[in-house]
Amino acid sequence: MWVSYDRKLASATLLSRAPDRLGGVSDGPLLRISGLTKTYPGVTALDDLTLDVPPGRIGLVGANGAGKSTLFRILLGLSHPTAGHVEVCGIQVARDPIAVRSRLGYMPEHDCLPLDQTAADVVSTFGELSGLPARAARQRASDVLDLVGLDEARFRPIGGFSTGMRQRAKLAQALVGDPELVLLDEPTAGLDPIGREEMLQLVDRLGSFGISVLMATHLLDDVQAVCDHVVMINAGKLVVSGATNSLLERTGLVTIDVGRHTDELVSGLARAGISAVAVDDVVEATVGDDAQMDAVRDVVAQLGLPLFRLSTRLRSLDEAFVRRSEELA
Amino acid sequence: MSSLPGSSGAVYDRGYRPYDGPRGQRGAATFALYKASIRRALGLRRTWRQKVAPFVLLAIVTVPAIVNVGIGYVSRNRFDAFEIITYREYVGVSSALLLFVALVAPDVICPDRRQKVLPLMFARPLLGTDYVVAKVGSIATILFAFSFLPQMVLFIGNMLVSDAALDYFSGHLDVLWKVPLSIVVLAVFYAAIGCAVSSLTDRRIVAGASVIGLFLLTSISSGVIVDQTAGPNGGAYGGLLNVLVLPLYLRDVIFLGHIDSESQLAGVAGGGWLALACYLVVLAVASGLLWWRYRWVER
Repeated sequence: MWVSYDRKLASATLLSRAPDRLGGVSDGPLLRISGLTKTYPGVTALDDLTLDVPPGRIGLVGANGAGKSTLFRILLGLSHPTAGHVEVCGIQVARDPIAVRSRLGYMPEHDCLPLDQTAADVVSTFGELSGLPARAARQRASDVLDLVGLDEARFRPIGGFSTGMRQRAKLAQALVGDPELVLLDEPTAGLDPIGREEMLQLVDRLGSFGISVLMATHLLDDVQAVCDHVVMINAGKLVVSGATNSLLERTGLVTIDVGRHTDELVSGLARAGISAVAVDDVVEATVGDDAQMDAVRDVVAQLGLPLFRLSTRLRSLDEAFVRRSEELA
Repeated sequence: MSSLPGSSGAVYDRGYRPYDGPRGQRGAATFALYKASIRRALGLRRTWRQKVAPFVLLAIVTVPAIVNVGIGYVSRNRFDAFEIITYREYVGVSSALLLFVALVAPDVICPDRRQKVLPLMFARPLLGTDYVVAKVGSIATILFAFSFLPQMVLFIGNMLVSDAALDYFSGHLDVLWKVPLSIVVLAVFYAAIGCAVSSLTDRRIVAGASVIGLFLLTSISSGVIVDQTAGPNGGAYGGLLNVLVLPLYLRDVIFLGHIDSESQLAGVAGGGWLALACYLVVLAVASGLLWWRYRWVER
């Protein structure tokens, strides 16, 4: 069960070394991409992409066909860019793809594991393929399968695994080589809500282990939940790249929950010169500054209304994505 | 670590431990894939059904050696030297391992493509050429082992049942290099062809049938051509089309210094050189095909 992995002891041990791990990478950006273009006959998959990405948990967001998988292939050195260059962990991919791959873990979106072998055998073999000695690979396979919650299923053939277990096994093979950066392509695809939540928790924990994560997804909620940096691309072009918090802008809307007294509050706020409307049993008021925010609080107090919630509404990543895309267009 | 008061026991939580030990590069990754492919081919760490075919075939190709040694032992007081099969002929028996190639090469090659494992492999420090070397090498190694072990049984058995073991050993020293060399020629050839054909499809049954079909087709067609065009010694250039026996011509050259008088190339001028050239051409085509099929990871 997932719960068994949320151990304070482990966190303490791991957090104690995480800064060292990230320290090695944080001297420069994790990814440095400059003028990256990739064209296929009749299609431009990536169009003059330029960005620097810091270490940490990064969400790569874009609709299907936006160029996410192409970018992954280029980062892995499996596909050569038409123009531009890419550095991963300070190494130019075009110059030394093998050195780059030694530092990366990769979890593809599609099913990609041998179905007739046990999880322990598969993960251990991929550990050896990552350059680990056989004994160390077996040990690490056991460790990472334990980490992803497959310790009791590790001697079962992967063919008998559920979708969620296969996703975990894929994550385990990506981690077994102790990478500096893990590329996760749609890690929550096909998972039920509980499986999705567990996978996101796992991705969230990777950051505390000192492993950077680049998670490609089209689900902005997933990114908002675990990523501290977002890169949005659309039709191969960069839409925006920045810290997640910086994209979650304040909208100037305040949501006030006063139970059944919405009409009283709307009237009270109007008398105080604050525009407000009742929406779905809550009141949404437009405030321009902190003084108006104080005024909202005072009106609620003067009317003697019960205050269940008073929150500033942030602009979601979806809205940021749409707005920036429109600006670009 | 945590422990209960008054208890000497302790519970360790391994959590995530980073790896700080030695780390290999392409060579290590290639060797790891080579080992994994050998395990897969022999059915190791798999169900017992997967182990049946390889080890039954090993038993079958060892039978002639055991029979030869057994009869030699029983009749040791009646004959000076009993021999129902020579070392050269025994290399030919190994061509029965063609069945093994048709069975194992698709099993080692096809699932990687069918189950989309290739992107995971090439996300490691591994190039397309490393992949091909590991796969062909693993099958060639098993073919070599399965061909060489029976020869060892035959050699050691013959030595032990002979009147003077040391005399037998010193009198057959040439066997010690001719047999391994012939088997290497055979194993590399069959392994390369098996892998090349298997790389063209992701379905094992199709690959296996194609491997057998290729050998049967060339064997039958060359037989027909040789029958129609045979010279006074019974051989013709058409014998070069027989992919199945192409390495056996080279075996004859290694053991006898010339093409065997009963082969399809008997009497053909420069037959040995032509066989070597054709052998190299087929190997080059197989290698080129494999390079082409796995080149995309390097683009």
